[in-house]
Amino acid sequence: MEQTRILVVDDELIIRESLAGWLKRDGYHVSSVSSGEKALETLKINSFDILLLDIQMDGISGMDVLTHVKENYPDIDVIMITAFGSIPSAVQAMKSHAFDYLLKPFDPDELGVLIQKLIDHRGRIKENLFLKEEYEQKTRFESMIGQSMPMQEIFNLIEDVKDTDTTVLITGETGTGKGLAAKAIHSNSRAANGPFVSVNCGAIPKHIMESELFGHQKGAFTDAKETRKGRLEVASGGTLFLDEIGEISMRMQIDLLQVLEDKIFYKVGGTQPISADFRVIAATNASLEQAIKNRTFREDLYYRLNVITFTMPTLRERKEDIPLLAEHFLVKTTQEINRGVERISRDAMDELMLYEWPGNVRELSNAIERAVVVCKTGTITPLDLPIVKTLEDELKKKYFSLTDVEKHHITKILDETSWNITKSSAILGIDRSTLYNKIKRYGLKDYRDK
Amino acid sequence: MNNMDTIIVSPIGDIPPWMSDTIAKDAGKFFGFNARVEKVLDDIFFAYDATRNQYHSTIILEKLAKNAPDGCIKIIAVTKEDLFIPILTHVYGEAQLGGKACIISIARLVAGLEVEIADKGCKRIVKEAIHELGHTFDLRHCEDEMCIMHYCRRLDDVDRKSSQFCRYCNIFLADNIRDLCG
Repeated sequence: MEQTRILVVDDELIIRESLAGWLKRDGYHVSSVSSGEKALETLKINSFDILLLDIQMDGISGMDVLTHVKENYPDIDVIMITAFGSIPSAVQAMKSHAFDYLLKPFDPDELGVLIQKLIDHRGRIKENLFLKEEYEQKTRFESMIGQSMPMQEIFNLIEDVKDTDTTVLITGETGTGKGLAAKAIHSNSRAANGPFVSVNCGAIPKHIMESELFGHQKGAFTDAKETRKGRLEVASGGTLFLDEIGEISMRMQIDLLQVLEDKIFYKVGGTQPISADFRVIAATNASLEQAIKNRTFREDLYYRLNVITFTMPTLRERKEDIPLLAEHFLVKTTQEINRGVERISRDAMDELMLYEWPGNVRELSNAIERAVVVCKTGTITPLDLPIVKTLEDELKKKYFSLTDVEKHHITKILDETSWNITKSSAILGIDRSTLYNKIKRYGLKDYRDK
Repeated sequence: MNNMDTIIVSPIGDIPPWMSDTIAKDAGKFFGFNARVEKVLDDIFFAYDATRNQYHSTIILEKLAKNAPDGCIKIIAVTKEDLFIPILTHVYGEAQLGGKACIISIARLVAGLEVEIADKGCKRIVKEAIHELGHTFDLRHCEDEMCIMHYCRRLDDVDRKSSQFCRYCNIFLADNIRDLCG
């Protein structure tokens, strides 16, 4: 489900709890941590849209976290929380690209309005990306390629469902070709002459989703200057492909279920029923069963969609298809960008076969495209592939700098002595003040029982 | 539904009986449970913050949930005192999301109105009471400005929103009550 994810970073428990509780009632997904260090750790594991960040904290300060976030997670927007006495820091934070700041305690209106403003701002950015992606998708067509057993099984399943109007749910990791499978089902079905309408539920901003799907009557809302058909209506007589169905909002799930059950729908602001005459294919890379347990996906909609399900194999499960796919992408890319790259060397192909491809066929396609661009000769070699580690990368992985070794060793001794500074400095052979300086310099923290 | 599942309306201090009775009547109607008025907390001085001259609602909720009578499925307290949570200047009310207890303060809802006679004040109070009880049934704020679960920034907005759940919140509420009652 599309839900704004907020991380609250504040060293005061009571502030964290009250803020998180308030935001949860507003429907946001909220996590909270007590320090800058923990915020940076959390950001490595989970993704967030907004950070509510206290400026003054012990250890890594709010300003340092802001700098780190802007460098490493530029898509996250940061609102600084500040006390009356630290307004100059808040101004400094704005210069460092914080979205805004709040002076605590703040009025509930102020908080609500600011977060809504930020979400609208993010929505507009997403809308632009969505329009760009739409354009790119329209200018691109690929067919399904594969001789491996898993792909043969997929082809058989597509053959089995082609003459029915049954709803199909396609699962599989990102980049495995769920969209291509949906298109293949459509192209081989009785509705092949009808439209294939794709809706990326994860890419369409929430505020325009209803109008995108159902269309709208002129005057239904401020920007509705003309009556417009929605994608459900455009898909009439063809196939409606709902990609990333797991991202659809709970409200939209209710509307969609109603359409699938009643076979009619209404434009936004309209009173005339429109017949829903299309086949539905849905796809997801998420576990909908888990989403049901988390109460972010409706069980009744799941059973309505899950009439026939098949799972696209990962590229790891069909490595024998890699040469065929790589050659296909090579020909396609050289034609598109008019480069004279004719072949992939045996060594490069070996690297392609050895790699695990977490991004699946899409990652392979991108890797070949990049290799064609950087290739200096007519043959792609291992060095042209973004998947091949350079000597420098390997060295970084295998060996540590002196600083890393020192930091690691001091941490180990401190942990072993339960952060007894006297004992640790004696073992390390340095005086207490030097140890304190090093703890400060490396930002080391005692996390025991916290 | 179990007959023992009752929503308790718990007035704190000097709350007019008609106010508690109206909330109980409407809560029963909205959520489909029995509802009755019962005083659970004698006072809320334990949650008083002298520096702010307000009462910390989260602390009251904890005690309210702990002292809830047997057979109580949800409990709502009504107070005349002004409430706060630490990060905010004030709150009209607070609820344990998907939990047992919630509270509303009539202090700001009836500010400037004659409480005993004002129909407007009564409607506001009932709307906010149902809103907070809605949170205890795990409902979030709703984007539909007319839905009773819409978060209102101003009292005018409270007056403008309807006394009903929108169709989405109705479905979510039915789902949550079904889950709650098995």
